[in-house]
Amino acid sequence: MEKKIPITIDGREVEAAAGQMILEVARENGIFIPTLCHYPGTTKVGACRVCVVDVEGARSLVASCCMPVSPGMIIRTDTKKVRDAQRLIVELLWASGDHNCLTCEQNGNCDLQNLVYWLELETPRFSIQFPKYKQETTNTMISRDLNKCILCGRCIRACNEIQVNEVLDFSKRGSRAKVGPAFDADYIDSECFFCGECADVCPVGAITFRQSRFKGRPWEIQKVKTTCTYCGVGCQMDLNINNGKIVKVTGNRDYSQPNGGSLCIKGRFGLDFVNHPDRLKKPLIRKEKGGELTEASWDEALELIAKKFSEIKKKDGADSIAGLSSARCTNEENYLFQKFMRAVVGTNNVDHCARL
Amino acid sequence: MKVFRSHLLICGGTGCHASGSLNVKKALVAELIKRKLSEEIKIVETGCNGFCAMGPIMVVYPEGVIYMLIKAEDIPELVEEHLIKGRILERLLYREPTTEEIIPTMQEIPFFALQELRVLRNRGLIDPEKIEEYIARDGYQGMAKALTEMTAADIVQEVLTSGLRGRGGAGFPTGLKWKFAAASPGDVKYVLCNADEGDPGAFMDRSVLEADPHSVLEGMVIAAKAIGSHNGYIYCRAEYPLAISRMNIAIAQAKDMGLLGRDILGTGFDFDLEIYQGAGAFVCGEETALMTSIEGKRGMPRPRPPFPAIAGLWQRPSVLNNVETLANIGQLILRGGAWYASVGTERSKGTKVFALTGDVNNVGLVEVPMGTTLGTIVFDIGGGIPKGKKFKAAQLGGPSGGMIPMQHLNAPIDYEKVAELGAIMGSGGMIVMNEDSCAVDMARFFMDFCQDESCGKCTPCREGTKRMLQILVNITQGKGKEGDIELLEEMAPIIKDASLCGLGQTAPNPVLSTIRYFRKEYEDHIRNHRCNAAVCTALFKSPCQHTCPIEMDIPSYISLIRANRMEDAYKVLLRTNPFPSVCGRVCDHKCQTKCRRGKMDEPIAIKFLKRFITDNAPRPKTEPVPVTRNEKIAVVGAGPAGLTAARDLALRGYKVTVFEELPEPGGMLRWAIPAYRLPRNILANEIADVTALGVEIKCNIRVGRELSFTKLNKNYDYVYMAPGAHKSQKMGVEGEDIPGVRGGVEFLRDFNAHEDAWVKGEKTLGSKVAVIGGGNSAIDAARVALRLGADVTILYRRERKDMPAADEEIIAAEDEGIKIEYLVAPLKIEAKDGKVSGITCERMKLGEFDRSGRKKPVAIPGSAFTLAMDAIVASIGQVPDLTFVPKDCGVSVNKWDCFDLAKGSKSQTTDARFYAGGDAVTGPDTVIGAIAAGHQAARDMDAAIRLAGGEPAYEEPAEEKIIIPLIIDEEGEEAPQGKMPELHGPDRRASFVEVELGFSMEDAVKEAARCLRCDAEV
Ligand code: SF4
Ligand code: SF4
Ligand code: SF4
Ligand code: FES
Repeated sequence: MEKKIPITIDGREVEAAAGQMILEVARENGIFIPTLCHYPGTTKVGACRVCVVDVEGARSLVASCCMPVSPGMIIRTDTKKVRDAQRLIVELLWASGDHNCLTCEQNGNCDLQNLVYWLELETPRFSIQFPKYKQETTNTMISRDLNKCILCGRCIRACNEIQVNEVLDFSKRGSRAKVGPAFDADYIDSECFFCGECADVCPVGAITFRQSRFKGRPWEIQKVKTTCTYCGVGCQMDLNINNGKIVKVTGNRDYSQPNGGSLCIKGRFGLDFVNHPDRLKKPLIRKEKGGELTEASWDEALELIAKKFSEIKKKDGADSIAGLSSARCTNEENYLFQKFMRAVVGTNNVDHCARL
Repeated sequence: MKVFRSHLLICGGTGCHASGSLNVKKALVAELIKRKLSEEIKIVETGCNGFCAMGPIMVVYPEGVIYMLIKAEDIPELVEEHLIKGRILERLLYREPTTEEIIPTMQEIPFFALQELRVLRNRGLIDPEKIEEYIARDGYQGMAKALTEMTAADIVQEVLTSGLRGRGGAGFPTGLKWKFAAASPGDVKYVLCNADEGDPGAFMDRSVLEADPHSVLEGMVIAAKAIGSHNGYIYCRAEYPLAISRMNIAIAQAKDMGLLGRDILGTGFDFDLEIYQGAGAFVCGEETALMTSIEGKRGMPRPRPPFPAIAGLWQRPSVLNNVETLANIGQLILRGGAWYASVGTERSKGTKVFALTGDVNNVGLVEVPMGTTLGTIVFDIGGGIPKGKKFKAAQLGGPSGGMIPMQHLNAPIDYEKVAELGAIMGSGGMIVMNEDSCAVDMARFFMDFCQDESCGKCTPCREGTKRMLQILVNITQGKGKEGDIELLEEMAPIIKDASLCGLGQTAPNPVLSTIRYFRKEYEDHIRNHRCNAAVCTALFKSPCQHTCPIEMDIPSYISLIRANRMEDAYKVLLRTNPFPSVCGRVCDHKCQTKCRRGKMDEPIAIKFLKRFITDNAPRPKTEPVPVTRNEKIAVVGAGPAGLTAARDLALRGYKVTVFEELPEPGGMLRWAIPAYRLPRNILANEIADVTALGVEIKCNIRVGRELSFTKLNKNYDYVYMAPGAHKSQKMGVEGEDIPGVRGGVEFLRDFNAHEDAWVKGEKTLGSKVAVIGGGNSAIDAARVALRLGADVTILYRRERKDMPAADEEIIAAEDEGIKIEYLVAPLKIEAKDGKVSGITCERMKLGEFDRSGRKKPVAIPGSAFTLAMDAIVASIGQVPDLTFVPKDCGVSVNKWDCFDLAKGSKSQTTDARFYAGGDAVTGPDTVIGAIAAGHQAARDMDAAIRLAGGEPAYEEPAEEKIIIPLIIDEEGEEAPQGKMPELHGPDRRASFVEVELGFSMEDAVKEAARCLRCDAEV
């Protein structure tokens, strides 16, 4: 994009492209503006108002996440007025929720917590009063504690705009407003697909992954990028590993293609098979008819297969062999597999479960 | 066309429907049939007349006579009288609330006469369900002109020229809005009408839709042509069924006639529209929320830009105007922008419709030119405040507007001025509040509305308004803290500045404006737990007790009367008031102004009941209190303040000596108030109780004459100075020093000192006396002069309702034959042979409002006239005489000749050993004010003495327990206040016998039973 709109942020002259929001330009230039409700790739709602900045000539503070730049704009992100507003807003959010970080799953990975620290707030001017909603633990995948919800609406946009599952929205008004499925139902009783997108985008500890509860602090967790093994799409994901175990799977917006950070229920919640005791980790061979399957080495196994296939091919011809491959394999693997069947085995009898 | 001899225009607005206009209409139809008049007289049901509080309303043309509050039963008589006999039926006519004058025709009623109708020009005149009637009144001509003679740019230009600004609230220039939308590319554009009127009390949009629906349609078609749109929506709240049905009828009729839909007027221009019914969320009046709602989504605002002119409804260029704005357009185009701009102010053109409600006589819709003053709207059109209460403020702009207080009654109401005063124009809701409204409570009420209506999207509005509300609730419940006001002041601008939409951006306005104008009320709630309007019930037991300056336990003694336990009642009186029998006669009874019964019918006669107790029970005996303290205390002045302080200090064991300049104690009670109001023995008995405690009163001793200030200073450890205000103020007119011109209090004092000589005629005023002034002492002077045989005229420069004297005193004076000339001010005292011969006066007319909320009298040039008089009594106010205080003694006296108090103290002067109170501190005030000051001083002096000596604070001795019975009548029937029996006949005018005779037992019990027992905790 051609940069051509000159603006000034905190005294620095920078160039922006037409249609860019102040926030975007600031970030590109390494200037920090806090955000809570903003979520890239979704509608700009301008709801939380912590991203406010002072724009010369504007009649009020301006939400930088949804205010497009215009030529000659002079912006300050650090005036007293801006900080006072941010402090009040964060104090209000803090005091309106049950932000007991001691037990919160998001402790150390929470936008609100970070903002309180960044603004150097000691304690809110308001008494802590939260709505006392019941915690939702009626399913095994996602927990909700809306007493920590800051009503940023990110979950709603993730559900409606990213996943297009259209399960979540606001209900009620004012300070009684609440996010969730229709008729205030629990997820399990709603149309929810359990993609986990909402939990992934929630900036605080209101929607979290149930499996990883008490399974490790953010700083103990090691993220390992991998490709989902469930289907051929090849979604990129982060395995969150603690003590050599996968505790949860998170999306990562930086891994653009093919999933842009989104996952489905299987990739998100189905990877616990990795550590399952029943999982086969070595090939098994039944050495005599009617006998037990016994563990073998890969070499042994492959050698046995090669030998048997060669015998069959010799005896009954190559077309007596067929290959069936799995949708959980990648495209590349499937390609190799049909190549193998055709070129090595010599048959066109090759098929794939995904066409069933 | 058929000709009728008479048209009966009966109002069919929602207000009149609710008060029964449909039944009235039915009765009318039946009656006309019965009398075979149906062919001669036509009934028309019109839209709202805007005077809903007086509904059902009917106007009879051609005479233009307007009948109000009509009931179906009135119809036979009405038809008989007016339509058959041709006589106006007076009892159903309008009565001016202040003058009681009967006004038959609409044009003459100030409510209608002072309005300028543009938006509402067809109200009450046409049948809104007949398009022909609209057309007959130039309807659709503006549209025809726009479609046939004008280009889109011409239309935009005309609207720009008119200066019309959006009437929905923000006041954005309508022409500019259209210009942007016109310039915005796109073949699908929308014209939207905002009829989501949500402000409590505002109903101008509904009224227009009901009374003149075609004016809105016409405006929309013109807007459509201007921006190039072919589709529109009217977003109307579902709570307006009548408006919706009339709009639907209007749309169908317009389509039938080719005035809407395809190929309008054969010009090839298409415009079609639909009504979308909103569910009534306040926030849906916000333009982006409204569009989101039409799109079928949750009605939440979204950030701008993009502005609706670029991407509005369904992301298409859209123009949204409110009903009132659109209703202006047809006439504006027909008559031109310059015509439109011919009324209004510099930057706010045209007229504005206000919904006038609250504590005002004429509740209704009012259309006035921009720049009309607040005072004109409230007092001239609105008819002022009911029940003679005082105006406090008007909330302008709905729940997120601001309050404009009394001192700005002269403010011309336009966008700029209103913003400068901290309010907003909003859609034009104007809620009038009288002195019985609490500023903090009003702020709480409006904040409650806003936080409840907040959509919850953005943090400052959602959480901020909630917390502001909590702080306000705490303050109104007596749980306010130091720092609360400041916290509100910190939060408010941030919430205004950082909120996403107009709701949050304006919600803090009521708080800011009440803090701006009524900060003291906030402080009073927080620091003193006082709500002077007696609204915040958590702060007190009963409003009367809270309002009494010495917080007398009124409900308790009233209930003891009902139980016929008069002796106990007397004891209750004496707990707080050393002068109950005096107060039972001459107190200005502030308590009664806040009596809750007064909201239902009339307040309890608290004063009379107090007197009843002291008249009918033996006075509890007073025992001397031994002196237990070393400090010697002097009190200067034996008036109610001095004696109360002396009594309280004596009760605490101090030796107190009171010095009084005049020959007898009592101050103003003895020397100004005449015996016919306060018999001498009554006062003497109460003073005797003070001396009985051990207080010594030394009369005929003026400090600075018989006793030097130095000696006073030396001989006493502490001094309380309460010398009162016994010097009349000068009028400042020529001839004031001629013999025969007296001050009011000077005259009364002389009379009271030499009553015999006056009564015998050894001293005389002459036969014609003028009394100048409107306060209680002016009335006292006049009534005394009358009793001395003079012909008395009171001259007062304002109107009767502005007189500071008690209403009952004015009535008594009039009853006794005293003439009162209002709106007259003295110019010069005329003399002949060195003696008064008359007084030359000027007539006054009422001008602008002054800071006290009353209209300032201004002289009418050339109106001078002279009245022959033998004596003039000038009673326009009193000042203290503090010449006894040496200049350099450390006790400072201010420029009003009153004592200055030490900062933060309510009684200590600038010298720590000297205290002061009563009129000498406040200027002329009431008896009860002086008693309260005496209590205050005694408490403060005792506390200071104990603090200096390191002693613990004083503890009141345990009170005798008196069980207060609780009888509450379930269903209190309306019943007026009991009347005080009075002396009548020639006896009264000629003697100084007490005029008020006192309640009988029966009167008293009946009156006591009216008490609602607000103190009861149930
Ligand atoms: S959501 Fe954030 S701020 Fe709230 S408890 Fe959890 S970590 Fe703390
Ligand atoms: S898990 Fe997915 S489908 Fe379910 S609510 Fe969250 S985002 Fe929507
Ligand atoms: S649950 Fe999380 S993402 Fe959803 S609104 Fe609340 S804080 Fe935002
Ligand atoms: S990040 Fe801009 S309003 Fe929330």
